[in-house]
Amino acid sequence: MTANQLSTHGLDLRYGDRLIVGGLDLVLPGGAVTAVVGPNACGKSTLLRGLTRLLAPAAGTVALDGADIHRMPARALALRMGLLPQQPVTPDAITVEALVRLGRYPHQRLLSPWSAADQQAVEEALRRTGTEELRHQPVDQLSGGQRQRAWIALALAQDTDLLLLDEPTTFLDLRHQLDVLDLVAALHSEAGRTVVMVLHDLGQAARYADHLVVLKDGQLAAAGAPADVLDAELVKSVFDVDCRVIPDPETGTPLVVPKGRAKRHTAVSA
Amino acid sequence: MNDVVRSAKPLGSPTQDPATGRKAERSRIPLVALAGLVVLCALVTVSVANGEIPLPPVEAVKGLFGAGEPGTVLVVQEFRAPRMVAAIVAGAGLAVGGALLQRLFRNPLASPDVMGVTGGASFGAVAMLAAGASQVMMPLAALGGGLLAAVLLGVFGWRSGTSVTRLVLVGLAVQAGLSAAVSFMVVSFPTELAGSALQWTTGSVYGRTWTEVWSAGGAVVVGLVLAFVLHRRLAVLDLGDDSAGTLGLNTHTARLQILVIAIVLASLAAALTGPVAFVALAVPHMVRFLAGPPTAGTLALSALAGAVLLLASDLVAQYLLPVSGLPVGVVTATLGAPWLLVLMIRQSSSVNRSVR
Repeated sequence: MTANQLSTHGLDLRYGDRLIVGGLDLVLPGGAVTAVVGPNACGKSTLLRGLTRLLAPAAGTVALDGADIHRMPARALALRMGLLPQQPVTPDAITVEALVRLGRYPHQRLLSPWSAADQQAVEEALRRTGTEELRHQPVDQLSGGQRQRAWIALALAQDTDLLLLDEPTTFLDLRHQLDVLDLVAALHSEAGRTVVMVLHDLGQAARYADHLVVLKDGQLAAAGAPADVLDAELVKSVFDVDCRVIPDPETGTPLVVPKGRAKRHTAVSA
Repeated sequence: MNDVVRSAKPLGSPTQDPATGRKAERSRIPLVALAGLVVLCALVTVSVANGEIPLPPVEAVKGLFGAGEPGTVLVVQEFRAPRMVAAIVAGAGLAVGGALLQRLFRNPLASPDVMGVTGGASFGAVAMLAAGASQVMMPLAALGGGLLAAVLLGVFGWRSGTSVTRLVLVGLAVQAGLSAAVSFMVVSFPTELAGSALQWTTGSVYGRTWTEVWSAGGAVVVGLVLAFVLHRRLAVLDLGDDSAGTLGLNTHTARLQILVIAIVLASLAAALTGPVAFVALAVPHMVRFLAGPPTAGTLALSALAGAVLLLASDLVAQYLLPVSGLPVGVVTATLGAPWLLVLMIRQSSSVNRSVR
């Protein structure tokens, strides 16, 4: 019942001497879309690196369905969990299709040839992300939104039940942000993937996530359904911003509206 | 995190059809490979037909395969073929070693002859020669020297976050220091050894024997095969450590494996030819220019192009230059110096990428 559930127990993550995430006990529900939010430098991306084994914990454990991920073979973990890093490195002049094909790496043995199953997974990933027409184009010549979709396609070709995305909407304009988030929502609702993503925009997080994890200074500030946890008090304590939280007129999910601070704004809102 | 390639480039220029552009690029690899093979066959023919006694090309090629006059067979198989095969195998080894290092470090200057590996290999070989070891030990000695250079480079040049430019500069210093040590040992040798030691200062394929070609050359071929077996890992490494790690690749192990293969290839090639310059540095760029971005196919092309370049340079040194007896390393170094300058200038004007 708890398939694809990530959990941490007393997790400490450090860079050298610096403690970034301290004593974190967290459960990220399987089969849901979880958004991790928090102010800059609160440890969101570090947490994602800890969850994907890119960073070994200084203390505590990370478990996937109860099994310590640091005791799993790298390939076995890569078959269950994929990550889109915040700033992925695009190889020189690589085409979209060649990039997406690399997502099949954990499915291949050292000398195994490219299989029909591999090609099928790549086609499916290209189709889902709408990058079929771009397949022969070099990734470094695409627009930001197209490039992000190509990278998501790589993670999809990996064919994992769990998908982690580190700020997938950063550097994108509003329309492309929504395109990416709609794609993520479809991956969850149509393909049944468990998604964990770091987001900056609280309103988008509330709209697209079933579960919200709020971090502050490497500590858990709140966790739960967006409607339950996101209120003015939380935003004040975590982001130090005075605001009102109102129902989103479109979706009814919580919408954070900062109080006016500059004079010209206070005049209007008063 | 500095090696970000999220450059904010605009959409590809609308005048260029990307689909056809890709098709043209794809079909270039077999075409370039075919051209390379034709040139290589021509060079092989020239190589076996010429010498102290010029032979008709058809007779010479027949002799290469053991057919025809016994005298011709002897001359071609025992005197001319080893030198020719040494140039081919060493050229391929140097070029693939260079291609691997350049991709691993994401820097066009990262090549075994710039970073001290071939200098180290020569140093190892000359030191063994001075100690009175037999020719059979040369590949091992060269390999040890190449690894020594890599360790020196690691000790002096490597700090986490160090820029590759710094690494290259330290590599140049290592190469210069080891070459100086080689020259010192060569001039202090007794005269009867000085002749055979000379190849270690500039690189030469003069007087190679089948024993040397089989031992070092065989190992180079094994290294080449391993490079292709591990190519998929290299492609995943190109994605950066985070993506490669989440795809299940142990990035440290994979990087070390490919680094060792590159050093082994370059060192053993240097065991055959001495520190021949330019081949490892330039061939990957030429292939990139002719056949497009790096794939397993272009790696194979690099091997072919390296073989062509070294064999052609050796023929130029033997027959086209007015001064006879020049080692092939002089020809490649003459080509290499301006090439290195151009690369340095282009490198300093573009954005420096660093490697973790």
